[in-house]
Amino acid sequence: DSTVGTSTDCQRCPCPGGATCAVVPKTREVVCTNCPTGTTGKRCELCDDGYFGDPLGEDNKTKRPCRACTCSDNIDPNAVGNCNRETGECLKCIYNTAGFFCDRCKEGFYGNALATNPAEKCKSCSCSRYGTVDQETSCLQVTGQCQCLPHVTKRDCSACEPGYFNLQSGRGCDRCNCSPIGSTS
Amino acid sequence: PRPDIFPLPAGTNLLFTQSGRIEYVPLDGYKMKGSEAKTALHLPEKVVVGVAYDCVEKMVYWTDITTPAISKASVQGGDPIPIIRTDLGSPEGIAIDHMSRTMFWTDSMKDRIEVASLDGSQRRVLIDTDLVNPRAIVADPANGYLFWADWNREAPKIETSHMDGSNRRLLAGDGLSLPNGLTYDPQTSLLCWADAGTHKVECMNPTQRDRRGVSEAIQYPFGLTTYGTNLYYTDWTRNAVIMLDRHTGRETEEFHPQKKSRLYGITAAYAQCPSGQNYCSVN
Repeated sequence: DSTVGTSTDCQRCPCPGGATCAVVPKTREVVCTNCPTGTTGKRCELCDDGYFGDPLGEDNKTKRPCRACTCSDNIDPNAVGNCNRETGECLKCIYNTAGFFCDRCKEGFYGNALATNPAEKCKSCSCSRYGTVDQETSCLQVTGQCQCLPHVTKRDCSACEPGYFNLQSGRGCDRCNCSPIGSTS
Repeated sequence: PRPDIFPLPAGTNLLFTQSGRIEYVPLDGYKMKGSEAKTALHLPEKVVVGVAYDCVEKMVYWTDITTPAISKASVQGGDPIPIIRTDLGSPEGIAIDHMSRTMFWTDSMKDRIEVASLDGSQRRVLIDTDLVNPRAIVADPANGYLFWADWNREAPKIETSHMDGSNRRLLAGDGLSLPNGLTYDPQTSLLCWADAGTHKVECMNPTQRDRRGVSEAIQYPFGLTTYGTNLYYTDWTRNAVIMLDRHTGRETEEFHPQKKSRLYGITAAYAQCPSGQNYCSVN
């Protein structure tokens, strides 16, 4: 404020790289007006959209320059808001991936989120409605094994073990009870 | 007055968003007066994507994906007024029907198109099926139509419906890749779009469906708007606003803002509202 008339009226802008600043009249808040390329925010403390970091080192005093969102190649470059500008947490994972860096399959999918070919990334668990505990739709991340009811088998719990039948019961498979004499299994 | 933001000058201006700012560049005829470009609004902590202008109250409306929120402010340097702050994912495109005083927006995370009065009341979901990456949206208030683009890589498309969401129809699907920008010119009834995947600009009269090419050599369009016989689009590779002649397809001018970062939405702020009325403004 240069209207008061003391030697401390004008202060240096609290902005990096000699950026200019302005005072918001109502709140008397100081805002940097031309932050260095790639940065933004009141104090140029934020990265532009699509980038993350801590350009001023505010959080833990170590500067982390802005770099592009790293989401395991599981984001679309045409999207906006792909990651949190400070932490880098990925917000728009695609190919059925999820996680901080889109590095695992989302609920209900299994496979390798980091595979290079999108078709080989994450596949649907497709657990059998009849053979799976509590009709769960999720499965183990890597193998895709669904949680099968007693005497139910296969990755997707879609078949009875040998010697068992009646998958449709929804309680697991029942023993065949065939006579050991005269049956092959 | 704040030394870093400037009221919109008289006449027609282009408004575009860039890294927490809404910038303007005045038009002199069709030429962009780059030397007079300034910041209309500075929102340092936000990522502002879509922008729309209400010619009646001279207010600018925008979507911000960081809060996320939809807000408005007077272009004479007013304070931002939040309008919608709940139940948003990634609000991107925004369109205004100045006649019936409503706004429409796309949300690429909730995968839907919504409508509300300009004060945020009477909010309603218009479309919530078969949307993957809806982005650009424009209105044709005089005829009561809505147009939007979905850049879904599996099946990109441009669609239309009445302003109540009924009578939804596909306008274009084949030969699209990443249709990011969309604009409608009420004078010529032309709907034009800019595609970052095919690098083409195309137009059609939505009732005649006569699709025609304008340019095949654009780079990476994001936002698109129209004024007279020109199209203006924001470009992600050049960080610039580019003027394109709709008849010749030639890029005639390029404006580079001072700040080097991506430009998002763009809209033309006319000095006066286009004349006409629609059934919603009468009822």
